[in-house]
Amino acid sequence: MATAPTTERIIESDVDIRPDRPWVVLVWNDPINLMSYVSFVFQKLFGYSKEKAESLMLDVHNKGRAVVSSGAREKAELDVFRLHEHGLWATLQQDD
Amino acid sequence: MGIFRRKRRVTALGPNRWSIQLAEGERATLGHLLPQLRDLLTGADAADPRLRRLFPTAYLNDAEADAEYHRFMRDELVQSKLSGLEALEASLEQTELTDAELTGWMQSINSVRLVLGTLLDVSEDSRLVDNDDPDIDGHLLYDYLSGLLDDIVTAQIGD
Repeated sequence: MATAPTTERIIESDVDIRPDRPWVVLVWNDPINLMSYVSFVFQKLFGYSKEKAESLMLDVHNKGRAVVSSGAREKAELDVFRLHEHGLWATLQQDD
Repeated sequence: MGIFRRKRRVTALGPNRWSIQLAEGERATLGHLLPQLRDLLTGADAADPRLRRLFPTAYLNDAEADAEYHRFMRDELVQSKLSGLEALEASLEQTELTDAELTGWMQSINSVRLVLGTLLDVSEDSRLVDNDDPDIDGHLLYDYLSGLLDDIVTAQIGD
């Protein structure tokens, strides 16, 4: 009994079809926005506790950036807009 | 709290009520800056480098998506900043502010700082400025606005 030769085709594509990769909103360090202000904006926009907001602000300050929210693209874009309304440098990207 | 601690200019009075106590000249200084911010926001040149931090990049690695974001959101961002500016201007002489007015003060003062800091090329380790620096007036104004903004934020965070 013989078995038929099997072939495996590998389709290469740049398109990532994993369905559930969320979008993340990053806030980047800048030399102008005050630490107190950044922390307050995180509390105000996302309802974070003072402790969580401060810890995220310190990540931005010390590591250069922090993920402050995530979700569907539309939500992430709205969060970026609200951060831009407050003068913070926020970007969105699909999570790796 | 030491005896040399500066008195805070903004304090909570109750729900939706804030006291704002400014020294003589402070309101005039703000009144002088606000029309300049409006001119910049409503100016024809969307790519004016002074506005870089008011309308930042939203997509770092996708120029097309970024252009689309700005095409759809820029007018709304300008409107948002203009309404904050109007809230500040309308309440500039008041000693009591509502939440919405205080937010207008906070956002507009920060917008002015973002423009001024960009013009002065402020960096995190250039906080000491020589007295003979040609931009000394700009740096003093920048520091003044930073202090006022910090008072507005501190009052809202509470401690």
